[in-house]
Amino acid sequence: MRIADRASGLNALSVRSYNERLVLSLLLQNEGISRMEIGEKTGLSAQTASVIVRSLEQEGLVSQGEAQRGRVGPPTIPLSLNPEGAYAVGVGFSRRRIDIALIDFIGTVRFHTQLPADEANPFPQNNDLLATIRQAMTSLPVEARSRVAGIGLAVPDEVDAMAATGNGSSTSLKALQSEIEEQIKLPVFVQNDITAAAGGESMFGVAKPLNDYLFFYLGARLQSRLILNHQIYKGNSSASFDHGLMRLESELAMRGRSSEIIWSSSPEWPDLGEAYTEWLGECSNRLKASISALTQFVEFRTVLLSSYAPQKIAKALCADIGREFAAVQALPARVTISPKAVGAASLPFSSRFMIQ
Amino acid sequence: MRSVLCYGDSNTHGQIPGKGPLERYGPAERWPGILRAQLGPDWYVIEEGLSGRTTVHDDPIEGAHKNGRTYLRPCLQSHATLDLVIIMLGTNDLKIRFNKPPSEVAMGIGCLVYDIKELAPGPGGTTPEIMIVAPPPMQDDVKEWKSIFAGAPEKSRLLALEFEVLADSLELHFFDAGSVVSCSEADGFHIDAEAHRLLGIALARAVDAIGWSRST
Repeated sequence: MRIADRASGLNALSVRSYNERLVLSLLLQNEGISRMEIGEKTGLSAQTASVIVRSLEQEGLVSQGEAQRGRVGPPTIPLSLNPEGAYAVGVGFSRRRIDIALIDFIGTVRFHTQLPADEANPFPQNNDLLATIRQAMTSLPVEARSRVAGIGLAVPDEVDAMAATGNGSSTSLKALQSEIEEQIKLPVFVQNDITAAAGGESMFGVAKPLNDYLFFYLGARLQSRLILNHQIYKGNSSASFDHGLMRLESELAMRGRSSEIIWSSSPEWPDLGEAYTEWLGECSNRLKASISALTQFVEFRTVLLSSYAPQKIAKALCADIGREFAAVQALPARVTISPKAVGAASLPFSSRFMIQ
Repeated sequence: MRSVLCYGDSNTHGQIPGKGPLERYGPAERWPGILRAQLGPDWYVIEEGLSGRTTVHDDPIEGAHKNGRTYLRPCLQSHATLDLVIIMLGTNDLKIRFNKPPSEVAMGIGCLVYDIKELAPGPGGTTPEIMIVAPPPMQDDVKEWKSIFAGAPEKSRLLALEFEVLADSLELHFFDAGSVVSCSEADGFHIDAEAHRLLGIALARAVDAIGWSRST
């Protein structure tokens, strides 16, 4: 238990007690709850909750909301995570782009930009990436920069596969990790990109209240994760279906059309004609087949579809799924700006502030 | 119905700034009265404010009965069962005659907490909830009290931190009165009617924030 800590900025890594993490995790799940509810949900005594909330308020991680007038007695003060209490940087590696995002404590993207990726050298130890991470941090006001909790890297599976072939990209991931740690002086966390995207959605998005759901990420490929009781399962094959945007790209190429727009972070695509319609139908069928296969074995009520691509695609696919399965609710994910980078940025938060 | 004991000194008694110990704000004006109005009919608010009360010291000049420790035990038993004890003391310990640093004033509060836990006047012989309130810092100018309170204003500004450290280590509720009110310029260490009102409202919220189950 910290004693009346007057530190301005985040406390050291080692002193976050389990009970503090418990309270922070609870506030992440429930915005604007009272100390009494914290006590009820955690089993902590009123005094313990009082001490913990006080120290989290002092640290700037928790803030008091507007007093709520009840029927009797004084107004109740709701507590929430302070969005400005902590920040994190996430880097999402994809085939064509590297996304860099800075998020606040409640997952709002405060900075986002992209760098071109080089397939031959997926983890460039060049100053571009470092400079961009620094740029993300300096987008914050000076006094907030000490509140960046860490940096997360979301890394695709293909890279591990490539490492197995001995071109050494895994080694260079380690090298990149230590370079960032050394240069930026912050802890760096690494996770598989799709798992990270699902984690980000669980932490900040539609999946916040869900224990179990099926998660799809629509990127170059269509990939999935199954979440059971908050645990993210990868499946034992790195199954990813060739029905993602690479498929759309080849459909477009066959028709002699440019596909540049689909790799951008543009919120709208122009009309891509029948290539798009055809691809969307195939993608929808693939999703439905996966869901159908999985419902034989596990019970889940929610399917989430995450993508950086324009919202209207996820909405159309979810509507399709909804028509096919009465018992399943299909929803577009809430995190729409580079879900991989946001998921990566959630890693320092879960590691430093939340119960695992 | 729940009971709260407000255990304090002249600033709980409601002594009017710049006046004598017999001149007091009315029952509805002083902070325990405001607290009573704010908390509503579910609460029974007990006032125990004595001018000159210290944490644990017999006062060689004003009398042994100013010792907050000797009076607390009979007081707790008189008013049991108590759901909550609010303690706002410490200013009088800063009189030069006691010659105590702020940290030791906090230790005095710690003794009172120890006694509350030992007596366990809470429901069914439990420890009641305990809230430590750091008194508002004194003004630098304490008028004719200057010699009695020599060096006290500076020490008074350190009480909130010392009390909070204590509250953290003993796991107590804590409120810093200085966060909502200041002492009156009239004498530099008493709070006026408006400050009583603001403190009563703030403490009602702090009491509510503890979280009380519906059943009483």
